[in-house]
Amino acid sequence: MTNDDGKVRKIRPRNPGFAGITGEFDLTEAQIRGTDYVGARPLDGGHPSVAGTMPYQLTTRAPDLPLFEGEYLRRLEKVLSRYEDRRAALLPALHIVHEIRGYLPPEAMDEVAERLLLAPAYVRGVATFYTMYNLQPLGRFLIQVCTNISCNLCGADEVLREFLEQTGTEIGEISENGLWTVLEVECLGACGFPTAVQINERFFESVKAEDVPAILKRLEAEVPA
Amino acid sequence: MSSTAAKETVSCTVDGIAFEVPKGTRMIDAAARTGVDIPHYCYHPGLSAPAQCRMCLVEVEGAPKLQPACTAEVQDGNVILTASENALKAREGVLEFLLVNHPLDCPVCDQSGECKLQDYTAAEGRPMGRLAEPKRIIGVDDFGGDVLFHGDRCVMCTRCVRFMREVAQDERLAVVQRGDKAVIDTFFGEGLEGNIWADNVVDICPVGALVSKDFLHKARAWDLDRTPSICPNCTQGCNITLQVRDNQVMRLKPRPNAEVNGHWMCDFGRLNYQWVNRTGRIEAPLVREDGKLVPMSWSDTLLRLANAARGQSTGVRSVVSPYAANEDLGAVRRLADALGGGSGVFRVESGEEVVLPGFPQLALRSDRAANVRGAELLGFSRAGDSTGMGGLEEAESFDGVILVLGDDLEDASADFGQRSKLFIYVGHVLGGAARNADFVLPSTTFAEMEGSFTNVAGRVQRFWPAIQVPGMSRPAWQILGVLLSGIIDIPAPARPGDAFATLGDLSPAFGGMRFEELGAEGQPLEYSRR
Amino acid sequence: MLSEHFGDPEARTLEGWEARGGYSALRKALGESRKDIIEEVKKSGLRGRGGAGFPTGVKWSFMPKDSGKQHYLLCNADESEPGTFKDRELMRWTPHQLIEGCLIGAYAIQASHCYIYIRGEFFEATQILARAIEEVYEAGYAGKDVLGSGHDLDITLHLGAGAYICGEETGLMSSLEGQRGEPRVKPPFPAVSGVFKKPTTINNVETLCAVPHIVNNGGEWYQQWGTEKSTGTKLFCVSGHVQRPGNYEVPMGFNFREFIYDVCGGPPDGRTIKAVIPGGSSVPIMSADELDVGMDYEAMISAGTMLGCGSVIVMDDTTDIVKQVRRMVDFYAHESCGQCTPCREGTAWAAKILRRIEDGWGTESDLDTLVEISENMTGKTICVLSDSAAAPITSSIEKFREDYLALIGAGTVETARSA
Repeated sequence: MTNDDGKVRKIRPRNPGFAGITGEFDLTEAQIRGTDYVGARPLDGGHPSVAGTMPYQLTTRAPDLPLFEGEYLRRLEKVLSRYEDRRAALLPALHIVHEIRGYLPPEAMDEVAERLLLAPAYVRGVATFYTMYNLQPLGRFLIQVCTNISCNLCGADEVLREFLEQTGTEIGEISENGLWTVLEVECLGACGFPTAVQINERFFESVKAEDVPAILKRLEAEVPA
Repeated sequence: MSSTAAKETVSCTVDGIAFEVPKGTRMIDAAARTGVDIPHYCYHPGLSAPAQCRMCLVEVEGAPKLQPACTAEVQDGNVILTASENALKAREGVLEFLLVNHPLDCPVCDQSGECKLQDYTAAEGRPMGRLAEPKRIIGVDDFGGDVLFHGDRCVMCTRCVRFMREVAQDERLAVVQRGDKAVIDTFFGEGLEGNIWADNVVDICPVGALVSKDFLHKARAWDLDRTPSICPNCTQGCNITLQVRDNQVMRLKPRPNAEVNGHWMCDFGRLNYQWVNRTGRIEAPLVREDGKLVPMSWSDTLLRLANAARGQSTGVRSVVSPYAANEDLGAVRRLADALGGGSGVFRVESGEEVVLPGFPQLALRSDRAANVRGAELLGFSRAGDSTGMGGLEEAESFDGVILVLGDDLEDASADFGQRSKLFIYVGHVLGGAARNADFVLPSTTFAEMEGSFTNVAGRVQRFWPAIQVPGMSRPAWQILGVLLSGIIDIPAPARPGDAFATLGDLSPAFGGMRFEELGAEGQPLEYSRR
Repeated sequence: MLSEHFGDPEARTLEGWEARGGYSALRKALGESRKDIIEEVKKSGLRGRGGAGFPTGVKWSFMPKDSGKQHYLLCNADESEPGTFKDRELMRWTPHQLIEGCLIGAYAIQASHCYIYIRGEFFEATQILARAIEEVYEAGYAGKDVLGSGHDLDITLHLGAGAYICGEETGLMSSLEGQRGEPRVKPPFPAVSGVFKKPTTINNVETLCAVPHIVNNGGEWYQQWGTEKSTGTKLFCVSGHVQRPGNYEVPMGFNFREFIYDVCGGPPDGRTIKAVIPGGSSVPIMSADELDVGMDYEAMISAGTMLGCGSVIVMDDTTDIVKQVRRMVDFYAHESCGQCTPCREGTAWAAKILRRIEDGWGTESDLDTLVEISENMTGKTICVLSDSAAAPITSSIEKFREDYLALIGAGTVETARSA
């Protein structure tokens, strides 16, 4: 192929076959979580360089577990060792709270503020800036449907509608069985594989409206009896 | 910075006026030198500038974009146009945006009349809005303390958040949420209650979002007369304006003075003004006749008093108020000296000192009256306890002349002054032991007279009369000055400056100072000798 | 080049990456002077792949030399521009490619610490990258005295929490410091006072991924692809109405029409292309007849749009342009940090007007209002988010005015009730 100046150009079109169009929700759960490759990470965060990056939108909830004790405290201390300013550990600290509680209750923000020597109002200001922090308890599975342009062009509105219908909820509500909360979210960075749906920490890609019942059934099966 | 770097200047032109400014001057401050007030919300001289309201955009010739004048520093040769077509259009745009969710409730808003949104919109805004959509509604939130938050009026300048963070250093306010849902809020139930600097956020709020509960719906801004004054409530001597309607002080607002209080004042001082408006004042001179106090004219009163006082040589015990002006205290001292001399005391309430962390030369001082320093310099000594009570023992049973200025003698024993030869009471209200006086002379408060206080750092600062005197009240320096001229035949002071001029004789600290040279921001003691 | 090992799970591991020539560039770089590396990158013509296209070598040369201060390298992995999904693939398939680029970049700018700020939603990519970082620490490629060179190079992975604006470099710095992700006024520029007030350089994932290749093969080698001013290859993310969406690595300057129709297979069968967004939702929309341009920074600018981060969103003739523009503006309204007045109020107001037009209750004067609002939102704010929101509004009204006019006056009682 030639260009204006007549030079021959190499082209390497890459097919995205590795992820999207094979229908990723057929992958095993471990594949979706990336844990088939990485394996489960230790609760204390592992190496300090990555201690602040544990998944924090999990299905597990521990309403009574102390927030910064034992392995969680060790994790926070590792995180603190990586920044020259204590305040920089705020997002990682909120991640820990989120991982344990499933959302950020006011008392927990207060505790984080105390740990990091910040003002509680400051912590609230930061926590409310970021959309991934839930500020009230949600269903066990937080279903976030991307309806931004690329997914929208390919039927994201129908996928969202189907999720709402199948779970019997309105946006942001907890379903009667406590399992589901459906949210409409912005671009999830998987535009080539529409519709992208993030359920807790997992991505489901190339979701069509007709896939919704199967996805819900599969998630339901994960809930211990 | 070395002194040579500090002197380095750059030249610029603002709206056609060419001049030089020190290097590093921000455009908004440079423009102010030519009298151009570039409209702004988030910029405040006492706070950091985030350049986020985008109101102060100005055109700089050669720059591709409009520059925020609050952060852009003047570069050599800049040609700054604050009112070019582009700048005006940008400001009109910002004003329209600010009104998108604004409730336009000026008729019931306390800020109306001193509102920057109102002023700028009237000056530069669109004649008609184009909004056809429903507005966002936030409602009213009690932030605790004296502060009430009207979220819908907020322009998100974040001055309040930055004040609490940078100056009060007690970050109780934050921007919560983001985008057009962003709102100022506290940490859930934990509001501003307990922080004595909180009301400053009301002052710096450029619109009616943060309002004072104390002042809520009490007066319209345009009905208020504003008089420069000094906060009487502690020894810091914060510069203030007394804001008055119908001869009532409605509120105190800080008046900037970089040497004393910056742009700020505390809530204790600010909200403690009701005593200035108290009723039941003594309105005429009273003279004891046949055991009763009867009203009389000033000339008769002072004539009788001069006669009674002349020749007294058994000495004087005086009790003065630390709220009294330097001039008043000086007059007491001179009168006492003329009657044989003697000791004088003052009583003052005291409490914890609370420093403003981001401007540490400002604190709510432990002595809760303005002129403790002045009283001490003029030879009065502290008596009584931290509640401002007690310490009257020596005066109480004194058998010479007792002279009380301003102290209302609330806790004095019923027979205070009964054994004296002459008991002169100069004050505002007649209660308790003051009724034992032989002469009761109605004097003015700091709000009704011209005079000066000396603050804790030794700064002498003037105040001006803001409200009318009740009845026949007169400044104490005048009353006592005329009396003294009747006793020892010297000229009576005609103006407060005359009274002030005599202070140097009583205390060398005041030597060489001139009342007229104190200006609006005061002068340090002994400034002329430094 | 960048995408050579996509789909190859073995390339994810350190062992596998080394077997594919990994970390030879780092070894080489540590033996060279910093100046030489920066010169080589300058020579390559590599430009920032995050969207602005600023020459990377020049950006690095802004960093102070031997300032005695801590310097930082920030890798911007907060990919969230609608239509963009290249960085996620780079990180989940070739984490070591990025890490090697980070280590070389950090060395070149005298930064002993590199933070990779990764988007909070990318848990899978995060776990893969985290594992890779642990591997490089074990192998001695990171940490104290890297490979006996006497240089300390630390890497910290930092997880975001859901905010588009943190992809803006100063917003990213605020977020990394534990603040709201609010962009900051420049000056001071990051190279003078960046994260923790220290000299800082911020580079996109794709930019840093290209660095090891340039170090290994030289700047001239990199210039063999692309045009004179836009060199090398670039990942383009194709989404929307195309037969074969996905990531494509093509040389800069490639013909856009050929790319969409031949490489990506064109629109679905029986449909025609109506509009294309060439560089993520923040750039002006192109109509189908404007596609004969090169896929490089200059050509796109002369075509009245921008290459951005190379996110091609294709819309066919079934597309409701007004709805899609409204959806984009909704996005910007949702993601506006709320600092600057024109952005905070303008994005939300424009979205409301567009929604009303979409519901059939618009008037023609609304279009004038929209254009004027967009004008007031352009070039008036700290960052360019509001400019990005304005771009699709003005370009769509200019190019697809009929789509708007068709909706005006179409309001019915039903739409009014549902609105």
